[in-house]
Amino acid sequence: MDAISNFAYSINSELLTKVSLLLDNHIVFVLVIMALVLIKESRNAKRLKIFAALLLAFFFATCIKILTGVERPCASLDIPNCPSSSSFPSLHATLAFVVMISFLNKRSYWMFVLFALFVSLTRLVLAMHSFRDIAAALPIALITYNIVDVLWRSFTWKRLK
Amino acid sequence: MEEIEIKRQLFHILIGVIALLILVFIGKGTLMAFSFFTLIIGLLLVNLTFLGKKILLVEFFRKHFERKNIPFPGWGSACYATGVLLITSFLTNQNAIAASIIILGIGDGVSTLIGRNGRIPLPYNRKKTLEGSFAFFLSSLLGYSFVGPLIIPAAFLAAISESLDLPIDDNLFVPIITTAFFMVV
Repeated sequence: MDAISNFAYSINSELLTKVSLLLDNHIVFVLVIMALVLIKESRNAKRLKIFAALLLAFFFATCIKILTGVERPCASLDIPNCPSSSSFPSLHATLAFVVMISFLNKRSYWMFVLFALFVSLTRLVLAMHSFRDIAAALPIALITYNIVDVLWRSFTWKRLK
Repeated sequence: MEEIEIKRQLFHILIGVIALLILVFIGKGTLMAFSFFTLIIGLLLVNLTFLGKKILLVEFFRKHFERKNIPFPGWGSACYATGVLLITSFLTNQNAIAASIIILGIGDGVSTLIGRNGRIPLPYNRKKTLEGSFAFFLSSLLGYSFVGPLIIPAAFLAAISESLDLPIDDNLFVPIITTAFFMVV
C-alpha cells in the first residue's frame, strides 16, 4: 500500500471505524447522498441533473471496476468480510465527488469537499480502497458531471428554441 | 496569434515538463497525490471566486492564461489537472504515464502554437488546421524514449481526437484516449 493509504489504515479510532462501517453500507450511503442533494438543492431541475450525473458516474465506475478487476487492499491484508468485488475505482468516492462538484458555485461547497474527503478517508480506514482508487474517482466524477452538464445545456437550449 | 494564447500554451508545456520531472525524479505516487490535492485546493479557490471573492492567484491565471467563454474561472487549469490525475491514477506503468503526459502537455501545447498560424483547415473541423495536428503528432513522438514504437499509434490517436470538434475540453478528451490506449495495449 502507498503512504497515504497506510497512514489512514493505521488510524486507530473506534468512532471513525464505526462511522466508516455505517457508510460502507450501500443503502445508508445512498440515503445520505440523496438526503444531502434534496436538502441543499431546492430546484427540481438541478436535483434531476445531479441524480443523472450520479447514475452516469455509477455506470462508468462500475464498468471500469469490471474491466480492471483490481484486488482490494483488505484482501491482501487478510481482513475478514473483505468484498470480492474489484477495488478500482472507489464507487463511494466517485458518488461523493459528483455531489461535491454539483455544488461548486454554492456557499456550502466547502462542506461537500469535507464530506467527499471524509467518505474517501472512511474507505481507506477500512482498507476497502487504496489512495489510487480514491484519486481515480475524482476525474471520473469531474468528467461525468461535465458530460451531463453539456448534454443538459443542449437539451434545455433545444427546448427553449 | 494573441499574446495571451502564446503565454497559455507555453505555460501548458511548462506544467507538462514539471509533471514529467516529478514523475521521473520523485515517482508516480507523488505526482498522483500532488495533482489530486492541487485539484481539490484549486476547486476551492474557484468556489471562492464564484462567491465574489478576489483571489490573487485565480485573478493572475484568469488575466494571463484563461481563454474567453469558459464555464468558470480556472476551467482550463482544472481540466488540465483532471487530465494529469486521470493519467496517473489509471495507468500503472510509469513509462506509459510519462508518454501520456508528453502527449497532453507538450503535444497539445505545440499543436496550438503551430496550428494557429496554419493555413490548411481540416475538412471535418474548420477551427483546426492540418499543420496543428501534424505538430501535435510530431511533438508527441518525444514519448518514444519512454514507450518505444508504441508512441506512434498513441500519438496518432491523440492527434485525431484533439482535432475533433467536441463539446468536451481537449485537456479531458486527449487523456481519456491516451489512457484507454495504454490500458488496452
